[in-house]
Amino acid sequence: MGKDKKNKFKTPEGYFDNLHDRLMDRIQQEDSQEEKSVIPKSDGFAVPETYFENFTPKVISQPEPQEVKVVQLKSYKKIYYSIAGVAAVLLLFFGLNWNKADTLTFDDLANSELEAYFDATDFNLSSYEIAEVVSLEQIELSDILDQNLGEEQILEYLDENVEDIEDLNLDYNDYD
Amino acid sequence: MIAEETLVAELKHKESQARAFEVLVNTYKERLYWHIRRIVLNHDDSDDVLQNTFIKVYRNIDGFKGDSKLYSWIYRIATNEALTFLKQKSRKAGISDEELKTAMVENLQSDVYFEGDEIQLKLQKALATLPDKQKLVFTMKYFQEMKYDEISEVLETSVGALKTSYHLAVKKIETYLKAD
Repeated sequence: MGKDKKNKFKTPEGYFDNLHDRLMDRIQQEDSQEEKSVIPKSDGFAVPETYFENFTPKVISQPEPQEVKVVQLKSYKKIYYSIAGVAAVLLLFFGLNWNKADTLTFDDLANSELEAYFDATDFNLSSYEIAEVVSLEQIELSDILDQNLGEEQILEYLDENVEDIEDLNLDYNDYD
Repeated sequence: MIAEETLVAELKHKESQARAFEVLVNTYKERLYWHIRRIVLNHDDSDDVLQNTFIKVYRNIDGFKGDSKLYSWIYRIATNEALTFLKQKSRKAGISDEELKTAMVENLQSDVYFEGDEIQLKLQKALATLPDKQKLVFTMKYFQEMKYDEISEVLETSVGALKTSYHLAVKKIETYLKAD
């Protein structure tokens, strides 16, 4: 057994003699594991020859847009005044009638309309991002489900839909 | 390489703007091109989006406040430009985003600038099945070899969520590639 003179720790006999070999074995093992991945290392895209050498954004070669000459509308002033007058009267008339109607509130929206809006609108939010905004403490399962789920039903769902149960308990260090 | 703060300052001054912009373009053109190419797949479309990205950077540099790093700001613009480009393309063609993605991969087979073999084509088909975010995280990590911290700044998503997305993407791609 190897001994360190300065302290009382011991190492197995020959530990340092074959450390290098064991390290090389491990490196080879890891390399071969990496090679086993079915995902190819490159994705096969190519570019035309000298594309990057000749790339210059058009913004450099394009001149700044020149100022457009402004045409004075003085001669039409009287016509514009009369149109503006008519428009003001119409606006006042419709404006008064408009105010008579009840103001719409959020409560006036039917649930079906809200659901249709959320279905049709792409928010570009992943479930992780939604989870970051809405804290788990604030929601109950009953907020999104009509019926209460029993533990058995939840387990049955997970069994059928989760490929690898480890997905639910990720150890991030494994994927660095 | 020129320091980022100096470059930004030069980009904001009329006299030094043109030269600084040239430096910016030469520094980022290849990295941004490959980032965009992996989203829009086709070379001509990538060129259009890359041009638009640099034009946006040029026109909006005064609005860059330095809250994030310059490269992550530019990457963010490139990502948004590329995704918007695809949305417009599917809208113009009157097809759904998914249909467009499938068509894009099918077009790769006749693309002169795609030199991939059968496996690489299958990889693109697998990537087309992923949600945008997972696909982005996967390509940025696997092919562009970006660090999680850098991806986090570009996509404005926590490192934890990115790691989960990457892990899920790898699993889905491997399953797709192993299937017949």
